[in-house]
Amino acid sequence: MIKTSIITMLLSISIFAIEIPTAYTKLHSFGKSVELNSKVIQLSNAKQSVTSLVSGQIEKYFVEAGQYVKKGQKIALIESITISKMTADYISLKKQYISLSNNYEANKKLYEKGMLSMQELNKLKIEKNSMNSKIVGLQSQLKTLDIDTKNLKATTAKFTLYAHSSGRVSKLHKPLHAVIREDETLISIIKNQAFYIQSYLPLQYSDVVKVGQKLTINYLDRTIVTHVTQILPELDLKTQRIVILSSVDEKADDLFINTFLKSTLYFEPTDKHVAIKKSALSFFNNEWVVFVPIADEHDEGNEHGNNSHDKHEEKDAREHDDHDDHEEKDAPEHDEHEESSVAYEPRIVEIITQDENYVGVNGIEVGEEYVSDKSYYAKSLILKSALGGHGH
Amino acid sequence: MLNNLIDISLKYKILVITLFIAIAAFGIKSYNEIPIDAFPDITPKQVVIYTESPGNSAEDIEKLLTFPIESALSGMAGVKMIMSNSFFGLSYVSVFFEDDMDIYFLRQLVSERLSGVDIPNGWGKPVLGPNTTGLGQVFWYEIKDSTNSYSPREIREMQNYVVTPLFKSVSGVEEVIGWGGDEKQYNVLIDTKKLQNIDATYDDVVNAIQKSNQAAGGQYLEFNREQYLIRGTGLYSSLDDIRNSVVKSIDGQSVTIRDVATVETGSAPRFGAVSIDGSEAVMGMVLQRTATNAAQVVDLIKEKIETVNAALPKGVTIETIYDRTQMTHKAVNTISTALLSGVVLVTIVLFLFLFEFRSAFIVIISLPLSLLIAFLLMDYYNLSANLMSLSGLAIAVGMIVDGTIVIVENSFRKLHDNPDEPRLKVIADSAKEVAVPVTFAVLIIAAVFIPLLSLDGLAGKLYTPMALNIVFVMLGSLAVALILVPVLALLLLKPSTSGENALMKSIKKTYTPMLIFALENAKKLLIAVSIIFFVLAYSLTQQGREFMPELNEESIMYRVISIPGTGLEQSTQTASKIEKHILKNYPNEVESVLSMVGRSEKGETAQANYMEVLLTLKPNIKNLEALTHKMNNDLSKSFEYVKFVPTQPIAMRIEELLEGVKAELAVKIYGDDQKILDSIANSIQNKLKDIDGLDGMEVETQLGQAQIQIKPNYLALARYGISVDEVMNVIRNGIGEEAISEKIEGIRRFPIVAKIKNAKDDIESIKNVTMRAQSGALVTLDQICDITVKHGASFIKRENLSRYMVLSMEVENRDIASFVEEANQIIKESVTIPNGYYIGWAGDFKNMQEATQKLMIIIPITLILIILLLYTAFNSISKAFLILLNVPFGLIGGIIALVVSGIYLSVSAIIGFLAIFAIAILNGIVLVSFIDELREKFPHVELKVLLKDASLLRLRPVLMTAFTTLFGILPLLYASGVGSEIQYPLSVVITGGIISSTLLTLLILPSTYLLFYNKKH
Repeated sequence: MIKTSIITMLLSISIFAIEIPTAYTKLHSFGKSVELNSKVIQLSNAKQSVTSLVSGQIEKYFVEAGQYVKKGQKIALIESITISKMTADYISLKKQYISLSNNYEANKKLYEKGMLSMQELNKLKIEKNSMNSKIVGLQSQLKTLDIDTKNLKATTAKFTLYAHSSGRVSKLHKPLHAVIREDETLISIIKNQAFYIQSYLPLQYSDVVKVGQKLTINYLDRTIVTHVTQILPELDLKTQRIVILSSVDEKADDLFINTFLKSTLYFEPTDKHVAIKKSALSFFNNEWVVFVPIADEHDEGNEHGNNSHDKHEEKDAREHDDHDDHEEKDAPEHDEHEESSVAYEPRIVEIITQDENYVGVNGIEVGEEYVSDKSYYAKSLILKSALGGHGH
Repeated sequence: MLNNLIDISLKYKILVITLFIAIAAFGIKSYNEIPIDAFPDITPKQVVIYTESPGNSAEDIEKLLTFPIESALSGMAGVKMIMSNSFFGLSYVSVFFEDDMDIYFLRQLVSERLSGVDIPNGWGKPVLGPNTTGLGQVFWYEIKDSTNSYSPREIREMQNYVVTPLFKSVSGVEEVIGWGGDEKQYNVLIDTKKLQNIDATYDDVVNAIQKSNQAAGGQYLEFNREQYLIRGTGLYSSLDDIRNSVVKSIDGQSVTIRDVATVETGSAPRFGAVSIDGSEAVMGMVLQRTATNAAQVVDLIKEKIETVNAALPKGVTIETIYDRTQMTHKAVNTISTALLSGVVLVTIVLFLFLFEFRSAFIVIISLPLSLLIAFLLMDYYNLSANLMSLSGLAIAVGMIVDGTIVIVENSFRKLHDNPDEPRLKVIADSAKEVAVPVTFAVLIIAAVFIPLLSLDGLAGKLYTPMALNIVFVMLGSLAVALILVPVLALLLLKPSTSGENALMKSIKKTYTPMLIFALENAKKLLIAVSIIFFVLAYSLTQQGREFMPELNEESIMYRVISIPGTGLEQSTQTASKIEKHILKNYPNEVESVLSMVGRSEKGETAQANYMEVLLTLKPNIKNLEALTHKMNNDLSKSFEYVKFVPTQPIAMRIEELLEGVKAELAVKIYGDDQKILDSIANSIQNKLKDIDGLDGMEVETQLGQAQIQIKPNYLALARYGISVDEVMNVIRNGIGEEAISEKIEGIRRFPIVAKIKNAKDDIESIKNVTMRAQSGALVTLDQICDITVKHGASFIKRENLSRYMVLSMEVENRDIASFVEEANQIIKESVTIPNGYYIGWAGDFKNMQEATQKLMIIIPITLILIILLLYTAFNSISKAFLILLNVPFGLIGGIIALVVSGIYLSVSAIIGFLAIFAIAILNGIVLVSFIDELREKFPHVELKVLLKDASLLRLRPVLMTAFTTLFGILPLLYASGVGSEIQYPLSVVITGGIISSTLLTLLILPSTYLLFYNKKH
């Protein structure tokens, strides 16, 4: 009996061997990030298919796969009967038009001299105009095929395909001298800077992921920043995950498509919560708790002898002062429990959310003092009295 | 018969002397060969079965391992009790058998039963604990790297593969246990996200590793008449082999482990650590096999150290931490010093009383001879020389000579009285005259210690050797007294001229008036003494009790307990802090501090929140007690967050043997649900709070281990096509780091572990462990399992197939029996105990109670036996009672000594009382038989006169036997070495008892005799 009371007395006036730091809770906005698996892709609009508009035979490729091409650069030469027919038509129509227009000019002079009726002249004019429109039509057709009609003197079957945009030739779809039909893709050109990151997001994040959120990827040793541009409405069938697309912001033209990457998606900060440090959490009697220094005067645990009482009150007062100050200063952490032993009590908290360092909780007020680190020691002090002598 | 014996010995005196010379020679041989130990082997007959089941929780281990093992073992022949402890990673079942069974036979029986136990695959394999005694840890060492060039992991490897095999080859070594450092394993850190890339599952990776690490034999090829063996050598030989193992092949392109994982050397999860002087270390413990000689084993180990050091790399050496023999030698030294000084003191006393060299020589020679006979018997019965058995001899030293004294004294007197008769006849007559009382006296002394032999359990094991040895040495002394002493008396004794010396004369001068007064006031005195006796007997019941006095091992050790669920790293840090604190604050007293945290490899039952701190003290510490006290206070003050329990190495092992309840008094609550057990315990605690005499109460917290429970969600699993088995594999292998294969490097084997990268950063990371289903679906554990954090069992203890919880109490200033009665009443009235739950009392109290109950039966039987012996000796019931009356006279002094010195009533003290019993009877016999003899010779002399003369004549032998016993025991009273405290209560009681017994025998016995026989006269 005497022995134990001596020990408890000693306990209460002892110098704390372990400093248990405390801090004040504050509101903290919780952003969150999640690591994802991503893949470098290119959207279909970033990929150009150069299609032959006419059927024919590929005479020559001016480019090779992987080659960089500029817009308007020759790509392939195609020999096409259609072209030859069209050019032949054009030339003949042109010749007809010239004779028609010569004829019209002659008749016009006749009309001015009154030798031809107005009606007849109009008839000729319509004839000429219709021929002209035929020519213009054909001309425009040929123009789309990049055939310069001005210099077209003779019939030609040769048709040159040009690049519509700059980029890298990804593939030659048809071998040389192959016959291609109309609308068949000859080669693909991949536009630069048109990479997208396709990421697979677990379903549970469906309500927090938003267009515009930041997503970074680790490509080799670089970190590349992208932003979410699309959240696809369809789940990836295989992985059962949400597919989000994000565009690469910076200039990055050396990514390999289909590369799997690790990426991190950053959600925007959601609500503000009362936050405690993660290191303050402890699991106690089946609940998550934080430890709070007992501020009131009566000693609950019998661990305090009477001789520490005065000190205790003194400290309480000081604590209250601190308290007010800290609320204004946004409560920086402080260590002050060095002189006398302090009792702690567990406060049950409910975890709402957490990020790397902080946990948003219910069950504790903003500005309350809590044990911010080494909560193990606070727990030990409470539970120690229940420790048996039986370690086995 | 006795007369014949005496005649024959006197006839063949040369033969007798030769015989005793031979006995002495053999006795010396035995003395040299007897195994020496600190303690008798107190280990109960016990077989321990432990099953390592890494990573599994207490609840599962209890269900799947402990219970099947327990049920298989229950119902075996000779089983007294089955106790078990299930906790994180280990099932520990201990079967206690009847003490008379052979341990090897029992181990075999248990093995046979175990082979029938069904244990699910992958949950471990039950193993029998080492066949050692509770005190089997005879030698502790550190593997010290003075060059600082090896990592703890490398040193641990040396321990496992260099030191252990070498020490294990030492004869008598059962097991070598390594502790500390960390064990090497190869980690294959799998990045589960990459599994998506290569279209593989976790199981695919595990399979890949398991299938790649193979060897095969291809028989042989005969080529040119010679044989060529064919060998497939596919076992991994380097880390690159692991990295290059093919997981799967897609379109001729192989995906290897390298593509999904990094392979590195790492450390296995550990359950224990060792810290010495503030930094982590590696140590080993050598366990001695049952029934081997500890001292011998340790000597052999020490010889082996040189070989081990040679096998270790340069700069790495074996350093002794703890060596049981040091303590053994200290203890044996204490007691042999006491024994020796007892012999010397007794010799001096004899010489002073007899004041005659020849007779003194005869008496003195009987001392070593009786002791040697005892050693001969000890050797024959395989008793080791230890604290307890030797103290039996020390207690008996004074009594050994009693028989001889009586015979020599009688012969001496007779020779003096009858100078004319032939020597042979005088000697023969005088020997025969006292032969019967001497024989009976010795037999009665032996009988008095019989109850000790009946003690059970720990007390029995401790005190039986003591009792046996007393019996041995008394029998030896009887043989010497009856056979050798008459011969020696015949050869050596000379009628002396002066019968009395100055000392005796002065004593007689004071004694005579006292005796006359006593004879005059016989009745009053008897009543007064009776009253005193009853008052004292009452005060004895109020005396504090303890089961066993604490043994002082001259060392300081602490059990340090943190709250349940404390992590190993935290404990190791605490250990290091404690060590530094002690070294800093006690530089002059403490040489080194060792902490053993958690448990070592072989079936220990400690968890990470438990550690043992052993201090190596500097020599020549003056006041160990004060130092211990100061340190206790200082440590519990400086490290408030842990609990210090002071103990000592051997005491601690003994406590462990008692298993579980170490408190004075405890309630064991039995039942199924730990939570209900807990609530019952708490409600009992509440209700008993204010009961009178209660000094403290503690519930042993079995709950309190936080668990992250991962419960498969079957619906979700079905959705993704993942089986529970796959999930459990990921938990077991991927998170729990169970080995999936082994990398074999020569004789060394190291586990290969398929770990999931970053799985164990925090609780969130567990939830985010990703699994890939066969179908390709990628899911986190969270999606397919319900993951919750709960409080579960920290450990589960069972006794005889039922769970129990312990509520221990300390009672002060109150008789425990009445406390238990009141507490029981309160519990019955106000605590509701649901069906299927019940309580039982346990603790030291129960041991004591059991011992007391047993003694309640044995003591009356012994008494009857003694009365029978007395009756046979005197042929008179009233004389038997007259002599028995002497016993309370002796007890008076014993009780006074006990009360005055404030010693608790313990088994040791009780043995003291037994010894007094014997001494008082001896005194009574000597006196009464002489009075009878005188009455026969002088039938007409008035009884009072006759009594006075007889008492005066008998004064010398009575005083001599009393003083020899007293001085024989005195060294024990003043001994201060290791082990002395166990003998202290006993010697206090005996000292007090001898004084009162002798005084009262000399005064009250004659007067009582007068009261008894006056009328008849």
